[in-house]
Amino acid sequence: MSVVDHNAIDLSPRISEAEVGDYIALLKPRVMSLVIFTALVGLMIAPVHVHPVLAFTSILCIAVGAGASGALNMAYEHDIDALMTRTANRPIPRGKITQGEAAAFGITLAFFSVMTLGILVNWVAGALLAFTIFFYAVVYTIWLKRWTAQNIVIGGAAGALPPVVAWAAATGSLSVEPLLLFLIIFFWTPPHFWALALFRSDDYARAGVPMLPVVAGPDATRLQILLYTIVLVAIALAPWPLGYFGAAYGVTSLVLGAGMLWLSINVYRHREGIEASRATRRLFAFSILYLFALFAVLLLEVVVRAIAPMVW
Amino acid sequence: MDDNKQPGIVLTEAQKKSRRQRSIAIALALGVLVLLFFAVTLVKGPAVLVRPM
Repeated sequence: MSVVDHNAIDLSPRISEAEVGDYIALLKPRVMSLVIFTALVGLMIAPVHVHPVLAFTSILCIAVGAGASGALNMAYEHDIDALMTRTANRPIPRGKITQGEAAAFGITLAFFSVMTLGILVNWVAGALLAFTIFFYAVVYTIWLKRWTAQNIVIGGAAGALPPVVAWAAATGSLSVEPLLLFLIIFFWTPPHFWALALFRSDDYARAGVPMLPVVAGPDATRLQILLYTIVLVAIALAPWPLGYFGAAYGVTSLVLGAGMLWLSINVYRHREGIEASRATRRLFAFSILYLFALFAVLLLEVVVRAIAPMVW
Repeated sequence: MDDNKQPGIVLTEAQKKSRRQRSIAIALALGVLVLLFFAVTLVKGPAVLVRPM
């Protein structure tokens, strides 16, 4: 006699119905687009000529590495993703892809992106990309996210590394400029994500993620947003007087930095009702524009510098 | 003989379609990887073997 009722267990193998789109969703395409853009800027501002094929290879590897991080993140977080409105529609909570399939996909992409970047471009960039993936998938996702309210502060380093990897891909070394880009993204991350967390705090609380608004409350979060924004604006402005980036960058940084400060002061002042909700949403939306514009102007400065000698 | 043959796993149309899509995507990805290595080999020439640490 058997204690297991074999009729009650479905022993048939699971046949996947996952479509290509589900695997693309695992790569977090929106995050990837920001990674591609910041990496492109890191590559373009490097003071060396990079062959277009090598530039394409570098950006592709960094993008795929970022996608691998996203897949590994979703594989680990499938339980809390199912509990949050924002993430409940991801492929694993929907049952399209299993946790194991997502993990295998992520590991495969991580391996190929790092090895390809190392072999075809250089190993400084390859090693930095490996570190970035490790930092996001292990340090942030597995360790920090469910443990501390400072999760996105420290974890933000992973999102700030792509331009550094790209600079290393172009030059084979590191310098002050990519570290400035790193610092800008690093200090941009807390006000950006805490603005999101303020109007999604119910989601995070339900999933048991110790985001700052859940742990310390919305008022403490508003103060932290303001303080980090002050540091961000100062750091984003500094490269201009220090002579690393040009006047167009400086003016853009000054004007948009004033906008960031104004919006974060509004978030600090308006604490209840529709005004508070509007202020946080405005800061969240503007923060995306702020980072995009700063990096776009850097790209523009490079293009103008390259074209100017031909025109004049 | 044939009477004893198990039917095995029969895929539904949706499963067949998604598997075919995934297979094509993998083939394309591998093709891109091969082309990438080929292109970089042409670009670097003999220097392809020089890989600074």
